[in-house]
Amino acid sequence: MEPFVFFGGKGGVGKTTVSCAYAQRCARDGHRTLVVSTDPAHSVTDVFDQPFDDSPQPVAGIEGLDAVQIDPEDEVTRHLDEIRQNLSEQVSAAMVNEINRQLEMAHGTPGAYESALFDRFVDVMRNAEPYERVVFDTSPTGGTLRLLGLPELLEGWIDRLMHKRRTSIDLFEKAAVGTNEPRRVMHGDPVLERLQQRKEFFEFAGSALDDDAAFFLVLNPDELSLNETERAIDDLTEKGLDVRGLVANKLTPSPDDNENGRGARYLRQRVETERERLETIRTDFEPPLVAEIGWRSSEIKGDLLDDVADELDIETAVEPPTHV
Amino acid sequence: MELADRIERFRKTIEEWLRGLYHGMISHPAYEKIEKEAEDAEDAFMLACFPDAFGIPSPVSYYTSELLPYIEDEFESWERRLWDRDSYIERKGQQYHF
Repeated sequence: MEPFVFFGGKGGVGKTTVSCAYAQRCARDGHRTLVVSTDPAHSVTDVFDQPFDDSPQPVAGIEGLDAVQIDPEDEVTRHLDEIRQNLSEQVSAAMVNEINRQLEMAHGTPGAYESALFDRFVDVMRNAEPYERVVFDTSPTGGTLRLLGLPELLEGWIDRLMHKRRTSIDLFEKAAVGTNEPRRVMHGDPVLERLQQRKEFFEFAGSALDDDAAFFLVLNPDELSLNETERAIDDLTEKGLDVRGLVANKLTPSPDDNENGRGARYLRQRVETERERLETIRTDFEPPLVAEIGWRSSEIKGDLLDDVADELDIETAVEPPTHV
Repeated sequence: MELADRIERFRKTIEEWLRGLYHGMISHPAYEKIEKEAEDAEDAFMLACFPDAFGIPSPVSYYTSELLPYIEDEFESWERRLWDRDSYIERKGQQYHF
């Protein structure tokens, strides 16, 4: 299967548990694996009982597994600082304030977080060299997965920007009378250069996501989760990213047959409705149901993670990436 | 002074005048028009890059803000032009010297 595997889904369905379990299984099967989380709640830290930050660190006790935890807020700040640094080198002191205002506005727009995450994801894919498999635990803010469908759109946008820029430079060159220096010159224009870099970045993202990535959605057997999953499948398919499989998590365990107390009756009823919902998933949803994971009575970590991993019917064999 | 010299000087003056007239009436306004057009195109580019300056949130301004360090001049003149500009008609009208 593809080297990059994404797990998405509604908040609280257990994406992190499933991604960690899958990553652990890949590592156990002998593939060097990195699990990338963008959850600001730092769930990966909780699953492995070990703190992680934004550089990959080996997970204790599991051979060949590294984890990295990305904080979107830190990413936005880093991006901002980088531009500020450039700004102070290039721009005269009088203009810095003016431009700074614009800069802060751009980083305050809705979507800055998503853009930062997207950048980081693509960055990880680009530099995935030491790893055979990278597992992405996407953040619940529906935005991240949706953003992964955007490269094509962004490419088009950058194209239009470059066209506009070229038109104006061309006119400026024509407007320069005789031996006068034109106000802008096409050759070596830093703006066009930056835009070109961005364009290549989006091109890479688009092709890597198309050819080297597999998407899985995690869901719970309840109405809300089903509806959201249906929408997410439509959304992703529309963007040309097909969902490889669905993982049903937090299924209610059924009681023993001879039990008949209130708890047992309740459980039996729940199992019944969940069975119907699973049936709906199997018949109405296009992607296959690749795993059914039951509720655990305690937090899923350590050995329990192994159990969960065993229940995942997702292959771990890795094809080398085609675009890196 | 020889006649030939005087004719020569007269021709030089005429040539200078003609060149001046041509520049003032034809070429200069033409170049000015092109330059204005270039400025308009640049404004369109700036607006596409930074629509949030006008309160329109844009998903790409996160990316286009990377250009800010390189477009100091553009940014300054963009702002100045925006302050100057009363209306689109006024801007287009500036190209005609009556």
